[in-house]
Amino acid sequence: MAPLQKRALISLSMGLALAIALVVVFVTRDISTFAADLGFRLIVYALWIGVPVAYLLLINLTRLSKLKQVDERDRLIKDRAPRIQWLAVIFTLAVWYVVLNEAYWNKGQIPVVYLTLIFISILVISALAESLGILIGYWRMNRNG
Amino acid sequence: MGRIENRIRRLRFDHNEMTQEELANRADCTRQTIIALEQNRYVPSVELAFRIAKAFGVPLEEVFQYKDSEG
Repeated sequence: MAPLQKRALISLSMGLALAIALVVVFVTRDISTFAADLGFRLIVYALWIGVPVAYLLLINLTRLSKLKQVDERDRLIKDRAPRIQWLAVIFTLAVWYVVLNEAYWNKGQIPVVYLTLIFISILVISALAESLGILIGYWRMNRNG
Repeated sequence: MGRIENRIRRLRFDHNEMTQEELANRADCTRQTIIALEQNRYVPSVELAFRIAKAFGVPLEEVFQYKDSEG
């Protein structure tokens, strides 16, 4: 397994664990208390900031610290990963659009907390999808060349 | 459309069974790239192709060959 591939796998695993923890926090706590409960907000901030930080440390800073571990083939795969990232972000936005429309159309307004949730979800999905894109890139290159 | 094939495996054997790791170090790439090249699953850049040929001390065309689909 290539060093970048290993790092992408670790980044994806860590990101998924943090994302699941984030969902669990939102499910177990009352979402309407988000604005009033500082503890709730701090837990959420720590969890969602963890995903892009894990991605940055494991993937993006690799090139700077250990250039020997990454060659032209790795860079090619990494440069193609944003295709998956773009699709994931668009799909997430589409899901939010449909769900919020269906849930709040009659009320004519949505709670402000959803702005935060949309932002968090896009950031988390974006970091996860790029790691996933790298892993798919290696899989496709090993399979098809 | 043709394809680019290589004789890296054969050349490694001819050079005292040079390891993939050693070739990777000489050509400044990763061992995984050498594996992909030997399995014809990756076509290198011109620069890497020259570095590999230089690592073996042979001309480029002795390592890489263009195979026309018709021939």
